[in-house]
Amino acid sequence: MNPAVAVMHASSTEPQAAAPSVEIAATGVAVDFIHDGRRQHVLKDIDMQVPRGSLVSLIGPSGCGKSTLLKVMAGLIQPTAGSVTVDDLAPQDAAKKRIIGLVFQDATLLPWKNAIENAAFLLLTADPGVSKSDATARAAEMLKLVGLEGAERKMPSQLSGGMRQRVAIARALALDPQVLLMDEPFGALDAITREEMSQCLLDIWERTGKTIVLVTHSIDEAVFLSGEVHVMGTGPARIIETLPINLPQPRNEDSYSEPAFKIAEKRLRSLLVESRRRRS
Amino acid sequence: MSEATMQTRTAPEQPAETIRRPLPDIVPALALMAVSLAVWEIVIRVFDVPTFVLPAPSAVVVSLIESRMQLLDAARFTAAEVLIGFVLAAITGMAVALVIARFERFGRALYPLIVLFQNVPKIALAPIFILWFGYDLAPKVLLIVVIAFFPVAIDMLAGLQSVEPSFVALMNSVGAGKTKILMRVRIPHALPHLFAGLKVAITFSVIGAIVGEFAGANAGLGYVIQFASTQLDTPLIFSALVVVSVLGLAFYYVVELAEKLLVPWAPKYDAHRHSI
Repeated sequence: MNPAVAVMHASSTEPQAAAPSVEIAATGVAVDFIHDGRRQHVLKDIDMQVPRGSLVSLIGPSGCGKSTLLKVMAGLIQPTAGSVTVDDLAPQDAAKKRIIGLVFQDATLLPWKNAIENAAFLLLTADPGVSKSDATARAAEMLKLVGLEGAERKMPSQLSGGMRQRVAIARALALDPQVLLMDEPFGALDAITREEMSQCLLDIWERTGKTIVLVTHSIDEAVFLSGEVHVMGTGPARIIETLPINLPQPRNEDSYSEPAFKIAEKRLRSLLVESRRRRS
Repeated sequence: MSEATMQTRTAPEQPAETIRRPLPDIVPALALMAVSLAVWEIVIRVFDVPTFVLPAPSAVVVSLIESRMQLLDAARFTAAEVLIGFVLAAITGMAVALVIARFERFGRALYPLIVLFQNVPKIALAPIFILWFGYDLAPKVLLIVVIAFFPVAIDMLAGLQSVEPSFVALMNSVGAGKTKILMRVRIPHALPHLFAGLKVAITFSVIGAIVGEFAGANAGLGYVIQFASTQLDTPLIFSALVVVSVLGLAFYYVVELAEKLLVPWAPKYDAHRHSI
């Protein structure tokens, strides 16, 4: 197996602080969709670098192609031009080596399997060499990490939306990926659960040191979680600004009231308003 | 006077509205059935309706008891047709759905043909099947398969195809191929849908058997009904109807029991949205 897949238990709360190496690099990425015989530019000239061990957000108005960009990084969509590398590999190869873990807006748990079976499912599918007991042990560990200890035997129908999403995160983490790509993972949850989940994700990031790319349309979420926010605009979609978030680590519920939070929030809001105005 | 009748008419309905929910489903249903049968019996007696036009429930019961051996033999024959036909229809339906889901290009060619075929009134094929296969079991079984495979195939296919695209993407991302996704995700995901289709199919199977026997048979409940009608033995017709209904209900509940045991996670589907 890939030695790089080993867990990076970062004890520091600021992993890779000095001269971070690049985990994900996008150069000149363009994606065109052919729709009704017409070529549509969904993404154009995207250049982006995600430092190893960082947590970055992609934010932008709906339809700006942020989910598409994430899918390109995951190897689910081939770019029309340009290239993406994940850990110096093509995304598909990285995915097959289990370098990439995916979380979507819907938890998409299998209704006939309980929480721990769901968390182990992808690992068992990905690697026929893993024994069921090893996968289950790994899944149990990950459920504990996402705060679901004691709910292992519960069926998805017995779990709340937030708990289901935690299982989905545990399922991705069970693969022990270096990179976690999350497409609006908390988009379907209520405001209070969202904040809980943000804290949970932050804990996971601090404990595991994974590189996390988060697609969101919540300004709060982006500021609270990220080291860097890439703001995307439409027509055609591109990154209009990369905003570093100088909010001190470790972050907790007090971070929301820090001046740095307010400044970043205001800046992001004006960028998003601007990107919307430019479109119309 | 009219006010008084109004009150007596509306009064029993109001408490019935409020009582209905907490009671188990079966209690009001049984009560309504008992009342209907009593009204039926009284109307027949009061207006002296001839038995060959409409027999009283009591006459049907008498006929049921008198002809029990004949009805039992007929029921056994019809049940065999239904069972064999249903099993073959289920296998055919599942196979068709799996082929369409797994081999997309072939599926795109096959699916419109199946839908086209569904629009043929298949009951009308009964005389042809009798012509080809005689009065025996084969034409009835074939008719059942032709009628009952469709809901199985369509519901199973809907189940196979309704796996969330993001979950398929997840499976793809870890290198799972189409067959693996089909075996591990699509088929179990389709089971609740399959059972919705099977419940429709079992009902269709009973209809297919009776129609097949109408078209040409020398045994079975459909045959008994047709024979009794030529003899103006209306109580026997009704007795056979009772037996057919009990048979259909029994088959239906066997399927439902299998569903409860095999797919306890199944959400509730409305099994009565198909029509022949």
